[in-house]
Amino acid sequence: MAVLTVPKLDLAASAYIPTPARIVRTEQLTEMEKLFEIELNDPRRLGHEPGQFVQVSLFGFGEAPISICSSPTRPDTFELCVRRVGTVTGRLHALNEGDVIGIRGPLGRGFDVNEMHGRDIVIVAGGLGLAPVRSLIQYIVDERGRFGQFHLLYGCRQPSEILFRDDVAAWRNDRRLHFLQTVDKADEQWRGRVGVVTTLIKELPELDPQQTVVVIVGPPVMFKFVVLEVLARRIPQRSIYCSLERRMKCGIGKCGHCQANQVYVCLEGPVFKYGQLKGLREALD
Amino acid sequence: MLDLMVTPADFVALVNELGRKRRIIGPVARGDRYFYEEVGDAARLELGFSYAVYGPKSFLFPAVETLFRFEADNGSFTAEPVYDDRPAAFVGVHPCDLHAIRLLDRVFAQDRRDEHYLRRRGATMIIGIDCARPCNEGVFCADMKCHQADEGFDVMLLPLSDGDGNRRWGLKFGSAAGREWLTYSRRCTAPTAADERAAETFLRAKAAAFPRALTTRVERLPELLERSYDSLLWEATARRCYSCGSCNLTCPTCYCFDMSDSLDLSLTSGVRQRLWDGCQLPGFALVAGNHNFRPRAAQRLRHRIFRKAKWIRERTGVAGCVGCGRCDRACTAKISAVEIYNQLAELD
Repeated sequence: MAVLTVPKLDLAASAYIPTPARIVRTEQLTEMEKLFEIELNDPRRLGHEPGQFVQVSLFGFGEAPISICSSPTRPDTFELCVRRVGTVTGRLHALNEGDVIGIRGPLGRGFDVNEMHGRDIVIVAGGLGLAPVRSLIQYIVDERGRFGQFHLLYGCRQPSEILFRDDVAAWRNDRRLHFLQTVDKADEQWRGRVGVVTTLIKELPELDPQQTVVVIVGPPVMFKFVVLEVLARRIPQRSIYCSLERRMKCGIGKCGHCQANQVYVCLEGPVFKYGQLKGLREALD
Repeated sequence: MLDLMVTPADFVALVNELGRKRRIIGPVARGDRYFYEEVGDAARLELGFSYAVYGPKSFLFPAVETLFRFEADNGSFTAEPVYDDRPAAFVGVHPCDLHAIRLLDRVFAQDRRDEHYLRRRGATMIIGIDCARPCNEGVFCADMKCHQADEGFDVMLLPLSDGDGNRRWGLKFGSAAGREWLTYSRRCTAPTAADERAAETFLRAKAAAFPRALTTRVERLPELLERSYDSLLWEATARRCYSCGSCNLTCPTCYCFDMSDSLDLSLTSGVRQRLWDGCQLPGFALVAGNHNFRPRAAQRLRHRIFRKAKWIRERTGVAGCVGCGRCDRACTAKISAVEIYNQLAELD
């Protein structure tokens, strides 16, 4: 049974104070991305939903919003996949096992797994989009009996950018799910499919529009093309999920940085249904 | 309609009595402009001021505010929240700014509460001053229905005079705290029938004194904007915009902020602070990896106007633009919010 209880918030306390947490394991995933397995110092568990994020605090450097890439079904620790792009993430990459960081969260709204129970699932992940959606993939794998068919499609630019190689190998060999992978550009060793992730959708069997949920996480340009393919298969807009990337700072719907039009992505998102994005013109720019 | 009357000199004495228990914040003259500052003597307050450049947020939501102090030690850290909940009396807030405070109150209490704002606000008594006439050219507070305030203050002062032409403050209570402060004061007197007539005359004169600058009704702005998202007006107006953020800086309802750490010399302790930020600044919507979600001045201008006249109200139920005209006056390129509203109505 999944652990989806949200820890009680002390509402009279400052929303900006991080909780100490320890890095228990790191793994360099690619040249740019490093995985951090983290344990909160107090006995509290994170208690997140797949698709939520945390603010990682490094004192003197600041905070960076990072999506949680592990499932609440593995509750003792949680994992963050961090691309080295800025001050905080650059400093974070220099940290290792035993180092202490600050964590605020879980924040935002994740995937509604209860609504997905009993349905067929298609997950389309592009590039770093695999990180946020890996929390959901692990959840489905751990709770496999509660879902119907499970198709997992993953594309990235080139083989050197493939994230979570151990997971990818396991998914490929897991007969309980249908895994398809592609790269935009092959190198000499690559023996798999070549082409953008959209091409994988053509390999999917017929989908039952009333029974299927599609989750698309990747760069906005990919999202548009994949949504088109999925809508063409008559999947309703309420059954299509995505996750938006923004620069959340406060994480509680005040500071304004993450807004897409009138929506505070940190509060109402980062996970949205496609139907909710209608009229949100900035969402997919 | 009046609760009590007081002379200007007695009011200053009353505020100074209050000042034994509370910090006094109010309008102070700097050159020919006014700013909200803490004073040791209420006689320094310029209660006949036009308007405070930065509005009430400069006190209630300071430009730089420490959220917590941290100390890293032996591989862990401690973080202690910093709250400023010293009792304060905020004297001299005009109706438009009372509306702005009402918005801040909602924003910081909505969803996850922001204790840093709310504790300061909770410790603050607000003494409003009604305005007899527009504080400046170009205000459109009456158009935005924010030139009067029936709530949001503990005490409201009405600038009246007695039969001999001597100035008197007419007092209205807005809260139990306001009533408690003044009810038993020997400095105040009960209003006479003549005082009540003076208050009525004041309000009638006030209603006639405020200009109308908006060519449509404020209630129509959301739907006008809804249909103008792709208007060329944004691009055309933003040609003049320097993206300097002066509008954000002076707007009493702009509350967006950035967060930043600052270390002590030891490099093991320091503070995390929040600082005013502005959606018109080019880097506001920048994410790690250098993607900017609003790279163009036209997109940023549109975002600001949509927030002020549509989205903030939809989110909080209260006005996002109070019509104070500060942004129009601060704009180095003479971009005017009310002119944009009127152009939207005209293009419609």
